Amino acid sequence: MSGDFTPELQTELLEDFYAECDELLSGIRKSLAHLEHAGATDPPDSAALESIYRSIHTLKGIAGIVGLRAAEQLAHGTEGLLRSLSRGESAWSEHSLDLLAGAVQRLDQLVAAHRLNQPPPDTESLVAQLRQYGTPAGTRGEIAPASSTPSPGRALAAGAGPDADGNNPQGRWLAIFSPSAELDRRGVNINAVRERLSALGPIVRAAPSVQPGGAMQFEFLLAVPEPPSDVEGWARDGIQFRPAVAGQSEPEPAPDSRPQSEPAPGLATAPSHIVRVELSRLDELMRIVGEMVIHRSRLEERIHQLNGGQSGLQEVNLSLGRSLRELREAITRVRLVPVAEIFTRLPFAVRDLGRESGKKVRLALEGEDTEIDKYVVERLKEPLLHLVRNAVSHGVESPAERLAAGKREEAVIRLRAATDGQWATIEIHDDGSGIDPRTIAARAASLGEPISNSPTEAELLDVLCRPGFSTRDEADLAAGRGVGMAVVHNTIRELGGTLSLRTQPGQWTSFRLRLPLTLSIAETFLVSAAGQLCAIPQGFVEEIVLLAATDVRTIQQVEVVSYRDGVLPLVRLRALFRTEPSTVAQVPMLILSTERGLCGLVVDRVHGQREVVVRSMHDPLLQVPGVAGATELGDGRPVLILDPVDLTSGAVRPRTSPRPPVPSRAAPTGAFATAS
Amino acid sequence: MSAETYILFELAGAFYGVRSRDVLHIEMLEHITPVPNTANAVEGVVFSRGHVIPAVNLRVRFGFPRIEHTGRTRLIFTRSGQRTVALIVDSAREFRTIPAESIRPIGETLTGIPGNYLSGVATAADRLVLLLDLAAVLAIETTAAAATPPAALLQPTS
Repeated sequence: MSGDFTPELQTELLEDFYAECDELLSGIRKSLAHLEHAGATDPPDSAALESIYRSIHTLKGIAGIVGLRAAEQLAHGTEGLLRSLSRGESAWSEHSLDLLAGAVQRLDQLVAAHRLNQPPPDTESLVAQLRQYGTPAGTRGEIAPASSTPSPGRALAAGAGPDADGNNPQGRWLAIFSPSAELDRRGVNINAVRERLSALGPIVRAAPSVQPGGAMQFEFLLAVPEPPSDVEGWARDGIQFRPAVAGQSEPEPAPDSRPQSEPAPGLATAPSHIVRVELSRLDELMRIVGEMVIHRSRLEERIHQLNGGQSGLQEVNLSLGRSLRELREAITRVRLVPVAEIFTRLPFAVRDLGRESGKKVRLALEGEDTEIDKYVVERLKEPLLHLVRNAVSHGVESPAERLAAGKREEAVIRLRAATDGQWATIEIHDDGSGIDPRTIAARAASLGEPISNSPTEAELLDVLCRPGFSTRDEADLAAGRGVGMAVVHNTIRELGGTLSLRTQPGQWTSFRLRLPLTLSIAETFLVSAAGQLCAIPQGFVEEIVLLAATDVRTIQQVEVVSYRDGVLPLVRLRALFRTEPSTVAQVPMLILSTERGLCGLVVDRVHGQREVVVRSMHDPLLQVPGVAGATELGDGRPVLILDPVDLTSGAVRPRTSPRPPVPSRAAPTGAFATAS
Repeated sequence: MSAETYILFELAGAFYGVRSRDVLHIEMLEHITPVPNTANAVEGVVFSRGHVIPAVNLRVRFGFPRIEHTGRTRLIFTRSGQRTVALIVDSAREFRTIPAESIRPIGETLTGIPGNYLSGVATAADRLVLLLDLAAVLAIETTAAAATPPAALLQPTS
């Protein structure tokens, strides 16, 4: 049964481990942020402490399973501190909070280093500090320090044989799990086994061991008086029980030394009803749904070709469409995770940065429960961190400057997430010094790329996002390297979103990210020009109107037309395909609203709205501006999905009001009816 | 003695070969969607087996005049590293094993093709077959149009 613990299985085990660590650490950070927010009052919120304790305890266990001793040891030390805090044996203070935050950060680094195969960061001094802090007199047992356990594969109770009478004075049993590919196929893997064992009783300790011949085993030391009755059943799943022999089992934290607040084991081990799924599997599901959407479109076309009397068929087709939409939405929901996953990392970054720079900053989070696609959330980690760091480094003034300006000494950075139809918005707002257009203009000029002296907010953003642009002469660790904003902007663009800026010099700065909730299917308008069918993402289309050729004027070589309260610049889709403008008297025009402002896109025809499956175009030959991707409508012909931001970047009307674009608000379907 | 199989095709009156292990499949040419701002030789994209794939007109790539596509025009889907690119050729002829020792390096005088797109030349079935260096063929520089910054992409007309 041993011997076929394949590298794939090991990789899978590790991937699970990393994912679980991520989740645990993210939860811990959230609780820590809560504690920090409450301040160093005594005593701390016991529920938050308890939740951190539980997560740290689990982390210790799984770190043991993968043999990550340093993390196990550090988690153990952290447990000690938490225990002592919750018992009131140590005073709750700024220092203990720092120590906790430091330990969590180091745990994060340890896991990251393990994942990237890098040398682990040093933990000794931290562990020593924790030990001082968190080993109150009377605590029985302590985990063996890593230095005394040179071999991670060492068995917990090597050679322990079954006791003749099955009696076990210590109330400890050793469960040995030998994984195999066959068991794995049945869903019996290390995590499942750990869950099952923890239902029997507290797992005191877990460790991997490598058997002669290279087979891998996992040993769990259980604090249970006797093994389960169905030993054969467990054996079929590759799990064997042995009494742990006293003296051979290493010292470990005794279960009764846990804080009183620890919930009953039964509570902690209740099934979680949570399935962890690889994102790629959901992608696959989404791809299949995408294909079904295409098939349904074809079906619809065929039904339309049948003349009359097919209402029954039409009805079936409509319900199929409904079910598909529901299925799509259901899968979309599965992919959604709360932005809290990334938000909770940020208070610590702000705290550290504030401390280093001598600035007083508070980060206020709003809408952490807002849910966004997991992929988007992952990709947003770095950009958000960058924007928040920028807010501290560039936005927030020193306490003295703030007081002089009549502001409160402590600056507030607000991070606000919300959803709006098919979009999610995240706003980073700071009440710092704002962005002075003159400074930016001067800086741009000194870098040889001058801009106007009174740039609009969109122009400012444009300059800030240029690669190599930095307002700093010297970079510090956090900001000023001149690469960040360009990367932030590109990432958001890649995700199909937009970035906008509003600022009041001397008062505040606000960056707003607008991102699609889902990625692979898009609502579009199908349009054509010069015989080319193209799709325009609906989110950018404010409305569709008819343009009379006689209304078009030319101002400084830019075609414009009166629109609402001003003039609207036009671009012609025919120009993209290098054909002459149409001579028809009236042509449809899409009013596109992008981060740069409003612009009219003149097309030959609008063919209707269509839900399309976005296919990316990765080949370097196709990395061209103006094209975001392609789709296929069921006839095997690719249709280009155009990028409204690129398309209109040559001519846009700066937004006159600071209000963000609200796409589809202007009932495009109504306008469209007149246009087709 | 080593030998490898090649797909032979015709382009502007000459015979070429591409290693069959680099070829995914061959299709008739049905519809190509042009993509603005791409390199000249990139005729557009085609949809094949769930993917959007660039189609390179090999005539344009090699500096021969374009011709109308006919019923014999073929798309050869090639794989090079992580990339899949379709080559538009006048016609795809056959599948042939070419022994390694019958492949000779390209002489200076032989190639009328600009650039170094060939890996060798062989004689097969009494014909001269030019063997493609696929990676070189697919390393297409972005043209001035494609490199144009977005700001100048769609200048208003007139």
